[in-house]
Amino acid sequence: MNSPSVLTFEGVSYRYPDGSRGLEGCSLSLRQGSRTVVLGPNGAGKTTFFLHCNGLIRPSAGRVLMGGVPLDYGRAALCQLRSRVGLVFQNPDAQLFSASVREDVSFGPVNLGLDRSTVKARVEEALEAVGMAAFADKPVHNLSYGQKKRVCIAGVLAMRPSVMILDEPTAGLDVRMQQDLLAVLERLHAEGMTIVMATHDMDLAYAWAEEVCILDQGALATQCPVEAFPDQAELLERLGFGIPHVARLHRQLAARGVLMGSDVPRDFEGLSRLLEEMSAF
Amino acid sequence: MMLFEHHAYANRWRSVSPEAKGAFSLCGLGAVFLARTPGVAFGVTLILVLVTLLGPRIPLGSYLRVAAPALGFLALSIPTLVFSLRLEGGPVFHVEPGGLLRAAQVLARSSGGLAALLLLSLSTPMSDLIALLRRLRMPEVMLDIMTLGYRMLFVLSGAVQDTVTAQSARLGYSSPRRAFRSLGSLAAGLMVQVWQRSHDLHQSALSRNNDGPLRFLEAEFPGAGRQLCISALAGCGLMVLARVAA
Repeated sequence: MNSPSVLTFEGVSYRYPDGSRGLEGCSLSLRQGSRTVVLGPNGAGKTTFFLHCNGLIRPSAGRVLMGGVPLDYGRAALCQLRSRVGLVFQNPDAQLFSASVREDVSFGPVNLGLDRSTVKARVEEALEAVGMAAFADKPVHNLSYGQKKRVCIAGVLAMRPSVMILDEPTAGLDVRMQQDLLAVLERLHAEGMTIVMATHDMDLAYAWAEEVCILDQGALATQCPVEAFPDQAELLERLGFGIPHVARLHRQLAARGVLMGSDVPRDFEGLSRLLEEMSAF
Repeated sequence: MMLFEHHAYANRWRSVSPEAKGAFSLCGLGAVFLARTPGVAFGVTLILVLVTLLGPRIPLGSYLRVAAPALGFLALSIPTLVFSLRLEGGPVFHVEPGGLLRAAQVLARSSGGLAALLLLSLSTPMSDLIALLRRLRMPEVMLDIMTLGYRMLFVLSGAVQDTVTAQSARLGYSSPRRAFRSLGSLAAGLMVQVWQRSHDLHQSALSRNNDGPLRFLEAEFPGAGRQLCISALAGCGLMVLARVAA
């Protein structure tokens, strides 16, 4: 919990050109090496928050800091920021440029000005990391939605960012694809990468994250370690999320005296293990 | 379009360098125009067709399907070169003097040009062709438009299919009147989508550090030099043959 902040928002506000609210006095910080989930109803400002992290938009008020230093929006500084903070967009078709998988993954490294052999090595490595090496020479339009998402991640990975931000990466994926994607993210996190993800899936958020940020109407409603997440029941109910199913079931079992004095497990496998241990006594 | 795509990515010459295929196609095109008679030009066309069927192994059925629209257009336009309408003494069609020869020349050259282009386009994916044009120093802006246009073809065709399905599910095409209305709203919706997509792609490009031409890692073709020599020799041979044959 004591690792330094990698990105900090201090009272950041942003309004889109049509006057709609993006962020409104948003203050939060993301810890280095953490797995953070950003929750919030539609229009809460999640995507705007992500666009700020990557320097794609500038705050109308407040400031964004990286490693304690305010962001510089000059060309060279933005180049450096974007090589450190990778952004995976929600819709893969909005991110994939080239019709060829290998070419698209190479787009970022080529823009970094790397030499051909380095680009080639990074592309191979990134495709390998997301399990798409066998598809390197395939056309993008022949891939499934989940495969396109993985190519998007590879395209960002090939830039070797220290922070990866994913805007609703599991949206539209079936359960198997979600598991594959989470396994990829797990590996990246194990290698030290800071991963930030927006999702509407409470169970996924609870099972996967270490830290949770809840945005509401452009501002941070709360930020807490995931263990304290079920305690935010009132806020979660108000935003229409409800608490994670496993936490709800655990509470009901505890209320009936089936489980006592145990920590709330993060997923149903954990709950099942807990019940087996209880029955063994 | 999908037939071109399918064969371009899955043919026996997929790993042959685009330069070699491009050079031979260009020579084939040159040979058709160098031919002294329509018969020789037809002969060159036949060679180009056979090379496409036997080299990259494009199935005849697929070949005929992709060639059909262009051949249909030719079939419609050739009679206008042969016949003309005489109005004196009542309207009557007659054969123009020299019309048959001119029609044969146009037919031979057009079908030869088509065969040369099909050889290249059925055996080479668009991304390789764009990379080839980049090496040939085509202006970056043209290449960017080609890259995005080609990618958007598939994205927007998916969007069109989804919209048409959604419209059909709500009886949008149940009568000619409704079909016109649905087509209109489809076109209007697509306009907005194009704008949104271009904005999204711009943001995506910026997020991956792009601030100029769209650059990618180009594919490597081992033995490209040798392949180019062979194809250039074969192509030159074809041109010489076309020129000397009577």
